[in-house]
Amino acid sequence: MKQGSSRVSRAVVSLLAGLGLAAAFASSSASAEGNSQMQMQMMHKLVEMAPYRGYLEAHDKEQHPLGLLGGPISVSITQKTGGVFVSLPDKRRLDPNVFGTPKMPRAFAGTPGIDGVPPMARGVEDGHYTEFEKLSPFGDKYMVMADGKLSIQALDATATDAATTQDRVKMMASWKDKAGNVYEVRCCKMLAAHGVEYPTFGGVVTNQILHGSSRIGTSLMPTEYTYFAFWGMGQVLKNGKVVAAPRLIHGMLTEYVRTNGYKLAFDNQVTPTRLQFHLMVPPFMPDMAHGGFKQDPLPTGFDLPNGMQLPFWHVMFENLDIHSHRA
Amino acid sequence: MSEQATAIMTRKPRGRLLALCSALILASASGTALAKTVKVQSTDLLKFEPAKVVIHVGDTVVWHNASVLVHTVTDVPKLAAKAADVALPKGAKPFNSGNLQPKADFRHRFTAPGTYRYFCIPHEAAGMLGEVVVEPK
Repeated sequence: MKQGSSRVSRAVVSLLAGLGLAAAFASSSASAEGNSQMQMQMMHKLVEMAPYRGYLEAHDKEQHPLGLLGGPISVSITQKTGGVFVSLPDKRRLDPNVFGTPKMPRAFAGTPGIDGVPPMARGVEDGHYTEFEKLSPFGDKYMVMADGKLSIQALDATATDAATTQDRVKMMASWKDKAGNVYEVRCCKMLAAHGVEYPTFGGVVTNQILHGSSRIGTSLMPTEYTYFAFWGMGQVLKNGKVVAAPRLIHGMLTEYVRTNGYKLAFDNQVTPTRLQFHLMVPPFMPDMAHGGFKQDPLPTGFDLPNGMQLPFWHVMFENLDIHSHRA
Repeated sequence: MSEQATAIMTRKPRGRLLALCSALILASASGTALAKTVKVQSTDLLKFEPAKVVIHVGDTVVWHNASVLVHTVTDVPKLAAKAADVALPKGAKPFNSGNLQPKADFRHRFTAPGTYRYFCIPHEAAGMLGEVVVEPK
């Protein structure tokens, strides 16, 4: 455990530096290296407390995982025409259903942005949390891009996290900006047979609640019923040229989690009878050696109006054709 | 032209045929003069613009998809996620454009007075709602 603890510690330092959180915490008290040390220790403890570490420890070396109850499920999802919604960096409003209150905080453990949100990174006003004080891919700001195309053929066969998996995903997604540049994501040469901080169910999961209060995936997304999701390693391309590989890719078909003006919903605003597909290439990479994640901005090649390069893809497809059956 | 009108045209002498044609043309022209066509755009901002139009019985609304997204124009109660997002006056028939690709148009002529509330199926939850108020002639 001691060895694991120091691995987590190194991962925390690297991650906080990347997020700019270490500097933020340190500057909150001008005096103090001691104070900063204390904050770092607290962060270390929070990351170590990620809620599924015990579950993962029990599963991640399993060589013969069981199959899905009732047999494998095959899934096909396509979008042939229409545009996509591209999330822009924003500060996520914090849902009290998920994050509690300053007096009774919830969803605080785990790597910030990957899993929980540390109380020190939450804005507070009138006794309530307001927003995650750092920019993330999970907010209300977005733009649309044309020619969104999506093709997924997948199989959910393995039930639990394990060392091996029978799950499979073949995904291609692309869209085009106003200048005519084509962005593309391909997955998955390798699936995440087990998670690093939370379960991945062999790499593909069907019919499961994710995000928000589930603590499976970032809590910055609402608690959402997920008909299909995958995690794997893939390629990111611009105009046919690979710009990043291998990259962590996550996709999920969920109930609709946007509200008026395309604002990201709180849990009580989700629309159960509408579906959307989310594609995520996060600005993080799994750090298997240290048992966590490290900050690693994605070189998307798409420039924001402020001149900075968009450091992630979080893209929604909503004109979907969906088929599924027991394989 | 209806089968009945065709039959009349075949049977009747030329003078009466001309008179009949003139009457049909006048009626049609008079109808066209009174009926209006109103345009509404579907946008990238998930809005129908304008969100509310007021027309008269017999008028037509043309929805143009000015967005890169696929939208629909739907006034079918059973397809709405929320009952409050849809309304049809008594006697009016539901209508649905189906998937409206970028740059495509959909038109609907309104024959029953009252208030119609409609929505875009994929973006109803994101607030893409519209209203047509049809006043009697």
